[in-house]
Amino acid sequence: MSNIDLLGRRKFIAGLGIAAGAAMVAPAMAVSEKADGVKWDKEVEIVIIGSGFAGLAAAIEATKHGAKDVHIFEKMSYFGGNSAINGGLFAAPGTPMQKKEGVEDSVDRMVNDQLLSGRGIADEGLLRHVASHAVEALQMTLDAGSEYHPYLQQLGGHSVARTYQTSVSCGAGITQPLYKECKRIGVNTHNRSKFEGFLVGNKGEVVGVKMRQNYHFGEDQPGKVLNIRAKRGVIMATGGFAQNVDLRMAQDPTLTADVGCTNAPGATGEGMFEMFRLGAIPVHLAHIQSGPWASPDEGGFGYVSNYSIFNLPHSIAVSRTTGQRFMNEIADRKTRADAELSNRDEKGNPVPPLLISSFKDSKAHPNTEKVIKYNVGWKFESLEELATHFGVPLAGLKAQIAEYNGYVKSGEDKQFGKDMTLAKNKMIEAPFTVVRLWPKVHYCQGGVKVNTKAEVTDSFTGKSITGLYAAGEVCGGIHGVSRLGSCSIPECMVMGMTAARSLMNV
Amino acid sequence: MKNFNIILGLVLLGLTSLSVQSAEIRDYHKEVIGKDCKTCHDNGIKQFPSDQSCLQCHDVDDLAKKTARSEEDKWQNPHNNLHYGKDVPCQECHSEHKTKQPLCSNCHTFKFDKHKG
Repeated sequence: MSNIDLLGRRKFIAGLGIAAGAAMVAPAMAVSEKADGVKWDKEVEIVIIGSGFAGLAAAIEATKHGAKDVHIFEKMSYFGGNSAINGGLFAAPGTPMQKKEGVEDSVDRMVNDQLLSGRGIADEGLLRHVASHAVEALQMTLDAGSEYHPYLQQLGGHSVARTYQTSVSCGAGITQPLYKECKRIGVNTHNRSKFEGFLVGNKGEVVGVKMRQNYHFGEDQPGKVLNIRAKRGVIMATGGFAQNVDLRMAQDPTLTADVGCTNAPGATGEGMFEMFRLGAIPVHLAHIQSGPWASPDEGGFGYVSNYSIFNLPHSIAVSRTTGQRFMNEIADRKTRADAELSNRDEKGNPVPPLLISSFKDSKAHPNTEKVIKYNVGWKFESLEELATHFGVPLAGLKAQIAEYNGYVKSGEDKQFGKDMTLAKNKMIEAPFTVVRLWPKVHYCQGGVKVNTKAEVTDSFTGKSITGLYAAGEVCGGIHGVSRLGSCSIPECMVMGMTAARSLMNV
Repeated sequence: MKNFNIILGLVLLGLTSLSVQSAEIRDYHKEVIGKDCKTCHDNGIKQFPSDQSCLQCHDVDDLAKKTARSEEDKWQNPHNNLHYGKDVPCQECHSEHKTKQPLCSNCHTFKFDKHKG
């Protein structure tokens, strides 16, 4: 059974043909249709599709501004989407922790870092809008009960340390409190509810949605489709499409089913494609980002990703065949992923590089004991032991570590120009912790075009589609070629809040 | 799809072997479920059971206690986990007609030795 839903739906219909004897009505095709003459099963104030950061933030913000009847619909059986299974890393400029640590930062500085990684095609207006409101979004998570590690991290491509991380090192440290807050303030939540298309008024405005009930992801069965009228509007917070192999390969043929993916299984993109069908402008769909901190030794995001993100600033990544470094360990994600993918044997088979850290520095992150315990990372007492285990040339590795430790002392990386601020006083020395690195599909920079009011722009008129708003990964073009780490959560939350404010006219 | 067709086919032919199959996975369901499909299929035979169906007999708080892990691994408790708390519907990891992998195994290598599918 394919997990790709667009295909699944076709098979579903074919399957019904086989079972024609059963008294069953074929489900409505998953396309938008005119609302004229439709029988409404339900009328609500605000419809939100998707229950990740963007959807949850939108629901809370709308309620705060007076909405009384907000409904979140989630396709999967559990709430949180891909937001519940990522690193929980939140970048914001001018935060209380930056003041405490004496880090000088500003909206301009954060936007400039992102523009560099965006390689000329990022949307400066949207980046500035998100960075300007990121502290408000962070505050929403704190108000809901999110807790963060008591230190900042400096992620790849960021010129200063500006990243908070939840104390559980996971996005669930935000989605769980936000979800509970939604319940507390009376937001209605519906799981197993599958978006099946928009219902469109005479002027092309979105007036409602078709939602399939009792939906079981990856299985085919005929849940009833309800026509739901949204009095104020519909917010699409349906995320990316990294798990839809056919659609991601249509954009980038190298992203085959063999390439790992950090995303939740539901990240299949039907909401986004339905908006395209309605007229939304597709932006940057081929820019699909792989996370360079992922491990080939576990599935998805796992334990290693966060371990690596924390350790990369004060660790070295080396080729297994030479023992030599091959990249700036905190360059932006695309630079690093491309560099890692070049680690291959003469036949072209992957030889995942090694991330080597001093155990004494790595253990400051709680995931270190997990990666060792669950055999997705290893501890070595000596360099000889490490080199033997992985078959790395000892002499080359020894020379590389001595050279790098010189850079730790001088504060200047003459090999790859790495920012050595967070590596200060952190020599690479025994005992060592090691994980293997191999990129996994992580984030879709592409999606529908939105403006700073979270309105979705129509391809033909250039105007906003009335009644339709979008927030989070389903939107495209904000980050350009490569999104910086920890910039998605602020984007999702700020744009979710923005959509709610637009709907509530505040 | 395949599974659905098989189930549908069996239902159409009026066979009752399904409940026998379910009891093969869990002996202790033999007596309580028996051959009465409706014990679980509260949405009609053609639909999956509702997510409340298992809760007729099972209590998530009790289950969370039974599957609790040590303090350092407390968030690996499938019935009260880091990502979704106590809210993952039973059917996400459990089935009566086929074996399923735990949801956690999508990303993690830790094991649930007593998980029967």
